[in-house]
Amino acid sequence: MFDLAVVSQILWTSFATSSYFVLFAVAFALVLKVNKVFNFAQAGVMTCGFYAAYVGVRMLNLPGYAGFMLGIAGGVAMSFVLEYFGFAVLRQRKASAMFVFIFTLIASQFIAYAVMMIFGTWPTTIFASMFWPVTLVGGIAVSAWDVPAIAATVTVLVGLWAFLKYSRNGQFMLAVADNADLAELYGIQKDRILMLSMLLAGVIVSIGMFLYGTRAQVQASAATELMLFAVAATILGGIGNIWGAAIAAVVLGVVQNSSILFIPSAWQGFLLFAFLFFAIVLFPSGFRLPERRNTLKRTVVAPQALTDGKGH
Amino acid sequence: MTKQWGLKSTVGLALALALSTGAMAQQTSYKFGLAMPLTGGQATYGNDQVKAAEWAVDEINKKGGINGKKLEMIVLDTQADPQVGIQSVNRMISVDKVAVFVTAWSGVVKAVAPIANDNKVVELSVGANSPDISQLGDYVYTTFPLADVDIRAVANYSAKDMGKKKAAVLFINNETGIGSATVYRDTFTKAGGQVVAYEAYDQKATDFTGPLLKIRAANPEIIHLQGLVAESPQVIAQARQLGITVPITSYSGIYNQKLIEQLGAAAENVIATSLAPGVEDSPLVKDYVDRWVKDVGRAPNGLPYTQYLYDAPALIAAVFTSLDKKGITPTGENFRKEMLAIKSFDLPLTGKITFSEDHTVNKPVYLVEVKNGKWTKKAVVGQ
Repeated sequence: MFDLAVVSQILWTSFATSSYFVLFAVAFALVLKVNKVFNFAQAGVMTCGFYAAYVGVRMLNLPGYAGFMLGIAGGVAMSFVLEYFGFAVLRQRKASAMFVFIFTLIASQFIAYAVMMIFGTWPTTIFASMFWPVTLVGGIAVSAWDVPAIAATVTVLVGLWAFLKYSRNGQFMLAVADNADLAELYGIQKDRILMLSMLLAGVIVSIGMFLYGTRAQVQASAATELMLFAVAATILGGIGNIWGAAIAAVVLGVVQNSSILFIPSAWQGFLLFAFLFFAIVLFPSGFRLPERRNTLKRTVVAPQALTDGKGH
Repeated sequence: MTKQWGLKSTVGLALALALSTGAMAQQTSYKFGLAMPLTGGQATYGNDQVKAAEWAVDEINKKGGINGKKLEMIVLDTQADPQVGIQSVNRMISVDKVAVFVTAWSGVVKAVAPIANDNKVVELSVGANSPDISQLGDYVYTTFPLADVDIRAVANYSAKDMGKKKAAVLFINNETGIGSATVYRDTFTKAGGQVVAYEAYDQKATDFTGPLLKIRAANPEIIHLQGLVAESPQVIAQARQLGITVPITSYSGIYNQKLIEQLGAAAENVIATSLAPGVEDSPLVKDYVDRWVKDVGRAPNGLPYTQYLYDAPALIAAVFTSLDKKGITPTGENFRKEMLAIKSFDLPLTGKITFSEDHTVNKPVYLVEVKNGKWTKKAVVGQ
């Protein structure tokens, strides 16, 4: 079993399949960092993203790229609804964090049941066929899905990094994440930024669901289970650390799949929860790397700060 | 003293008779329960099975019902969840006062069995296949062959008729998966074969590379997959992607057209079981499938299961009709006695069934295989 080809295959497939988990984890971590919400309603956004793409490709017979765009539109639309009619209202009413958390749970189940009523419970995929041809690269089976999935994930991550680092809205997002009230004092429209963060997360998870739904079957309740992985990665990656969550998602995927070399495969799922259990008990704030000298929070400059010189 | 006792017993007997006659006079309809998943992950199957039972009840009533009395079906949701199943069955027994109810999914069948036994209400398991179902108590019976029937048939066929000597077993780590995998392993080994890999996967797994690579390393001549409809196509797809080309057997859960659409050429050499005759075997089944296509616009999900559900009301109606003719109150206790007295039933879509001493039934197993992009009949085992 400890054959080089086997180990290489497990590592490659784990790496490729961690692509969508990375996106789910990054979106969850982004909302947690900026909006300060454990957004379990992300499962509902994921479901809408998937079924919008499904409608486009399977029901309207649109080409794949149009289904992809429709999927993003579906996820973004649901994110907007959740933020505008849910989170914003709860903020206005000064709802407690626990109440907001319960709202996210209820919203995710509500969406799952609504989708179930519309599309039924038969598991389905975005394309009629879920079989991807394979090319052997040095003895490793690389499917036609693997490379585009990894490329899409890397593109999203680089895009998000660039957005947060270089765009004005991205910097505002980090400012709100650091201290929302202070950011507001500097003239940043907090509610607009919180909406932007939700919409961005909607885009990211919709891309993730498109990748997932082109490889595996999805039913209305599937997103809730996929979310658990994102939550685990966010906790392990350090709460509020987007890139930590992304790395944790890859590591978790690889460790979970590689574990078959040492333990029976039936225990793979258990391993995820074992990780979570010990991570929460031993590292309640997640694993934290030593802070760099030039962290983003120190370099964020709000618009008024630029003019009055009080930015640092 | 003797006179007084005689008078009392005569009055008592008269009262009992009057009450009994009254009860019979009030018997304007006969009720039974149907507890199935109408929502949740298994509702795809559950709703189609309920529809099949509804059609059967309608037809029984159109033909005169139970000696002119209506057959009524009380349908409640289980979500295929034991806890929800317990609530539904409790309601059927205490509120709707049913003497018999039909349910499915092994977890639910087992969870509600004590309620059936305690209340002396007959539980008919129609579709669940866990081998334990035969030992759930006096009031629990199955009209569906248990796992040891179709899994044993496919294991024996693989070893004896297909001549395979080395098999791998890949199964979902839940009650049904573990039970069926054990039956396959024991039967295949007993038939002279060797199980070279025996791998479970987690119920929430989204990737199966690890267990499949372990299986590939063991170099089996055939693989038996015991999974759910949700992930089985992906397991087969990944197996083919990893270069595993040997035949893959499974059970009736994967016997549907969608598998071929999803996998294309990768579905070739996939063998499934069916525990009911197909359209090629029975004109009644052909009419039934045609009705689905005409009324619903598609074939039913899990055709054989819906055939059994279609037949369940026919069995219940036969027992009620017999009780009605004899003027016996349709309690659960009487229903059970009468059902065992009749013992054999000729059912429209699944053929004859005879209850065995161990509360199970034995039926032939139909093996179907994907050949040239179509499910084709491979063999009938145990005829």
